[in-house]
Amino acid sequence: MSWRRELSKIRALFGGNQPAGDLDEEIRAHLKMEEQENLEAGMTREEARYAAKRKFGNVTIAQERSREMWRLSWADRVFQDLRFGFRQLRRSPGFTVVAVLTLALGIGATTATFSVVNAVLLHPLPYKDPARLVQLLETEVSPGAFPLSGADYLDWQEQNRTLEASSLFSWGQNMSASGAAEPEPAAVVDVQANFFDALGVQPFEGRAFARGEDYAGRNHVAVLSYGFWQRYFGGAAGTLGKTVVLNNEPYTVVGIMPRWFNWSGTTDIWKPFDMSPKELGARGNHSWNAVARVKAGVTVEQARADLLAISQRLEKQFPKSNNKVHAVVLPLNDTMTHNSRTPLIILFCAVTMVLLVACVNVANLQLARASTRHREMAVRSSLGAGRLRLVQQMITESILLAFAGAALGMLAAWWCVRLLESVKSLPIPRVNPIQVDGAVLLFAVAVALLSGILFGLAPALQNSESSLNEEIKAGAQSVLSAASGRRALRDALVVAEICITLALLVGAGLLLRSFVYLRNQDIGINPHNLLTASISLPEAKYSTLAARRQFFDQLLDRARHTPGVDAAALSSEIPLRGGSNGTINVDGVTDPAVTSQLVGWNYITPDYFRTFGIQLLEGRNITPDDLDRAAVAGQKDYDLYKAARAQNTEVKIPPDVSWVAVISQAAARTFWRNQSAVGKSFRMGDEKVTVIGVVGDVKEYGVREQPMPLAYFPNTQVLPYDGYARLTVKSQTPPMSILGPIRSHVRDLDRGLALFRPLTMEEVIADDTQDVGVQAILLGSFATLALVLAAVGLYGVMSYLVTQRTREIGIRMALGAQQANVLSLIMRQGTRLTLIGIVLGVAAAFALAHSMSGILYGVNSNDPLTFASVAVLLSVVALTAYYIPARRATKVDPLLALRYE
Amino acid sequence: MPTRRQDDRIELVYGALDMLILRTLRWGPTHGHGIAKSIERMSEDALKVDHGSLYPALQRLLQEGWIKGEWGLSENKQRARYYSLTPAGKRKLVAETSRWQRFVRAITGVLAPAESEEGE
Repeated sequence: MSWRRELSKIRALFGGNQPAGDLDEEIRAHLKMEEQENLEAGMTREEARYAAKRKFGNVTIAQERSREMWRLSWADRVFQDLRFGFRQLRRSPGFTVVAVLTLALGIGATTATFSVVNAVLLHPLPYKDPARLVQLLETEVSPGAFPLSGADYLDWQEQNRTLEASSLFSWGQNMSASGAAEPEPAAVVDVQANFFDALGVQPFEGRAFARGEDYAGRNHVAVLSYGFWQRYFGGAAGTLGKTVVLNNEPYTVVGIMPRWFNWSGTTDIWKPFDMSPKELGARGNHSWNAVARVKAGVTVEQARADLLAISQRLEKQFPKSNNKVHAVVLPLNDTMTHNSRTPLIILFCAVTMVLLVACVNVANLQLARASTRHREMAVRSSLGAGRLRLVQQMITESILLAFAGAALGMLAAWWCVRLLESVKSLPIPRVNPIQVDGAVLLFAVAVALLSGILFGLAPALQNSESSLNEEIKAGAQSVLSAASGRRALRDALVVAEICITLALLVGAGLLLRSFVYLRNQDIGINPHNLLTASISLPEAKYSTLAARRQFFDQLLDRARHTPGVDAAALSSEIPLRGGSNGTINVDGVTDPAVTSQLVGWNYITPDYFRTFGIQLLEGRNITPDDLDRAAVAGQKDYDLYKAARAQNTEVKIPPDVSWVAVISQAAARTFWRNQSAVGKSFRMGDEKVTVIGVVGDVKEYGVREQPMPLAYFPNTQVLPYDGYARLTVKSQTPPMSILGPIRSHVRDLDRGLALFRPLTMEEVIADDTQDVGVQAILLGSFATLALVLAAVGLYGVMSYLVTQRTREIGIRMALGAQQANVLSLIMRQGTRLTLIGIVLGVAAAFALAHSMSGILYGVNSNDPLTFASVAVLLSVVALTAYYIPARRATKVDPLLALRYE
Repeated sequence: MPTRRQDDRIELVYGALDMLILRTLRWGPTHGHGIAKSIERMSEDALKVDHGSLYPALQRLLQEGWIKGEWGLSENKQRARYYSLTPAGKRKLVAETSRWQRFVRAITGVLAPAESEEGE
C-alpha cells in the first residue's frame, strides 16, 4: 500500500478532484470516439457500436474497478467494525455499563494523578531556560544545607566566574499591608533587584525592579502577585503607581506579576533588599537564600566547583565565622520538587495498579461474555472471516469501551484537578499550575488505547481460536470440555487481581501506620486548647525597646485576663515551626562533634513553659526580674552593635554584659553529660550566658525530627532589635473561640495592627504531618478502589463459573452429593486461586514497601502486622465473593439443572 | 473460470500497462481513447489491451501523482479527460524504462543458454 496513493484518496474524499465521479462520462466519450472511428472505417452504425464495446471489454467491470481504486479499504473496515461494535455493546447494556464505569474509575484516577505528576515532575520550571537555574546555600557539616550568609554571598557574587546572574532573596515574612483597604496580612519576600531578570520572568503589568533599586533610599517599591492585586486592590486598572503600606512604611507599586507566577508557595509582595553589606548582616549570620543562573555552556558541576573554591578561600580568611562553611549548589528544579518526587512516583505506580485491576476486571467480563459469543465467532469464521479479522473486530470493540470509559474518566479527572487546585494547603509544589492540558489529554487517550488492547487482546485471541468444527463437536456445550485455555487465562486474571490488590493494601496500611505513629508522637508539649498567632510591630511607630515592651506587656496582660484563658505567653518561636539557631561554645569543651552542635534559640516570657505544658526539670524558670535585666543587657548589646556597624569595626562586648538562659534536656546532655547544667555557662558569640534551669525536650523542627538542643532567653533581650512576637494562649474552651477576644485586644491597643496566621497547636501538628496524611488517604482510596473492583471481579467470575457448572452440580446432587460437598467443591477452586494470589501479592508488596521506606515513619517496611492483617482482610473479602455464588449453586434443583440448556 | 478465446496476442505483465501509458503520454496530453489507440499502434496490435482495463490503471497513476487529468474538447468537439505527465511521472518513466531493459536483458540471458543446453 503506497502512502502517496492513500493520501490522494483521502484528499479526494475531502472534496479534492474526484475523478471517479466523472468516470461514466469519460467512458461514454471513449466508446463514442471508438464508434466514430469504426464508422469512418466503413462499418454500419450498429456494427460500429458493437465493435467498440467488444474492444472495450465489460464496461461495468471497468467502472467498478476504477472506482474501487479510490476506496479506502482499511477505513471501510474500521467503520464497519465500529458500527458492529456499537451494535454489540448496545445489545448487552449491563455488561457495557459495568465495563465503562470500571474503566472510568481506573482511567479517571490515573489521569488525575498524572496531571499532578505532569505539573510537578515532568514540566520544566516555568522560567527562562530552567535547566540553568540553581539554588545557592551553605552547609556547615554535610549533609544538610543552611541559609546563606549575606557577606559570603556578596563575595561569591563578586568572585565567581561561572554564574551569569545571581539574586539574593529572603524567606516570606508576614507584614501588615494597608493603604487601599483594611489592614491585611501579606507574605512579603525581599529580593535583590535583578530577581525577576535572573528567573527570566516579566511582570504582567508595569516593570520589574530596576538596577540600583536595592539600596536604602530607593528601595521603597513593590511588585505585587496577581492574587494579592486581585484580593487587596480588587484587580483595579490604576494600581500601578499606587502606594501599599507595609508595617507602616509606604511602598510604590511598580509591577504586577502574571497570574501563573508562583514563588515558594504564596508570596503576595516582593520588595527590594537594602543590599549594603551592613544591612545583610555579619558573616556568621545565615539568613538568606539565593537563586542563580549559570552561564550558557557551564554545567552545574562546574559552578559548584567554582563556588566551593571561593568558600574554601573564605574559610581560611575568616576561620572564626566560616569554619566548615561551604557552598552548596543545587539545581533549582530539584530543590523545588525533591520532597514530592518519591511520594508522587509511588502514588502514580499505585494508581497504575488500580487501572490494571480495572483492566483485569473488564477482561474477565469479556471472557465470561465470550462463551455466549462463541457461536457467533464460529459462524463468522466459517463464513470466511480470518482470525486476524476477528481479533481486529474484538479489539475495536474493546477500544470503543475504553474510550467510553476514558471520556467519563476524564470528567472525573477534570473534577479532581479542579478540587486539587482549590485546596491550596495540599503539600504539592505549585510552581506549575495543575491542570488538564494537552499532555494530560494525550496521556488519557494513550491509556485508553493501551488498556483497550490490554483487556481486549487476551479474550480476543482466546475467542477467535474456536473453529466451527470444535463448536459443532461441542454441540450442547458440555461442561466437562470447557476450553481449558480460557480457564487458565481466567485463573491467571483472578490471581493477578488478588496479587495487585494485596500490594496496594499493604502500601496503604504502612502509610496509615506511619501517619498514626506521627500523630501520636510526643513533641514535648500538651497541644490541647492552644491558640497561637503572631504580631509584628511596625518599626516607624514602635521604634524603641520601651515602646515595644509596653505594647506586649499590655497585650499579654489583657490576653491573660480574657475569660476562659488559663495562661498566655510570648515567644519568638513555637514548637514544630523551626526558627533561628546557631552554634555555641562551652569553655573547656573541644570535642568537634559537640562544638559544631546546633542549638535553637527561643525568646520567651516566663509563662511560656506553663502555657505549653513543658516541665521544668531542674533549676528555676525565667522571672520578671530576669526580663528587666535582659532588657538592659539587650539594649546595651544593641547599642554596641549599632555603633560598631556605623564605624565598621568589630564589636567588643564588655565582660559585664551577662545573660541567663533555660536550656532543654537535650542541650544539657550534649554539653554537660553526667553533671548538672544549672549554674554552668556557655558563649554565644561574644556574650556569656549562664544556665539557670533545664526543661523537657521539645521538637522544634518537626514531628519527624529528633529534639534539638534548645536555649530559652528572656524575650526582652531581642526587643531592641525588632518588635516581633508570637502570642500563645491556653484556653479552657476550644481555642478558636478565644480568637475573637484576642483580636479585639489587639485592635483596642492599636487599630492599624493585624494578627497573623492564627492557628491552633493541633493545626500546627496536623500541618506538619499533613503530607503523610494526604499520602495515606490517597493510597488508601486507591487500595479501597482496587479492593472493591477485585471483589466485584471475583464475584463475577465465580458466579459465571457456577452458572457454567450448574449441569454438573445437578448431576452430582442427583447422584447423592450433599450441599456441603458441592459448596466445598466450588470453594476449593476459589481458595486455591486466592492462596496463589496472596503468596504472589506478598512478594509484590515487599517490593512496593521497600521502595516506600523513605516515606515511612516508625514502621518497618516489612511490618508483619500490616502484611498479616491485609492478607486476612483480602482472604475474607475474596472468600465472601466466592461464597455467595457457591451458596447459590447448592440451591440448584437437580431436575431443573439437568434440563438446563 | 471464463473460457479464453483463441488469441495469440500477449497478456500484459503486471505493471507493464502503467509503463505503456506513461510512455504514450510522453508525446503530449491525450485522452483515454487516444492512449488505447497509440498502445495498439506502438505494439502493432501484438499486445492484448482491453480498453476497459486502461481506466483502473489510470486511477492508480493519478493517485501516485505521475499523471494529471483535465477536461477538454476533442477534435470532434467531444468532451473528454486529457491526461498528461507530471514531472514525477517523467522521472518514473525514465527509471522504469531502464529497469525494464535490465529485466529483459536478464530474462533473455537466462533463456538463451537454456535453449543451447536443450540442444546438447
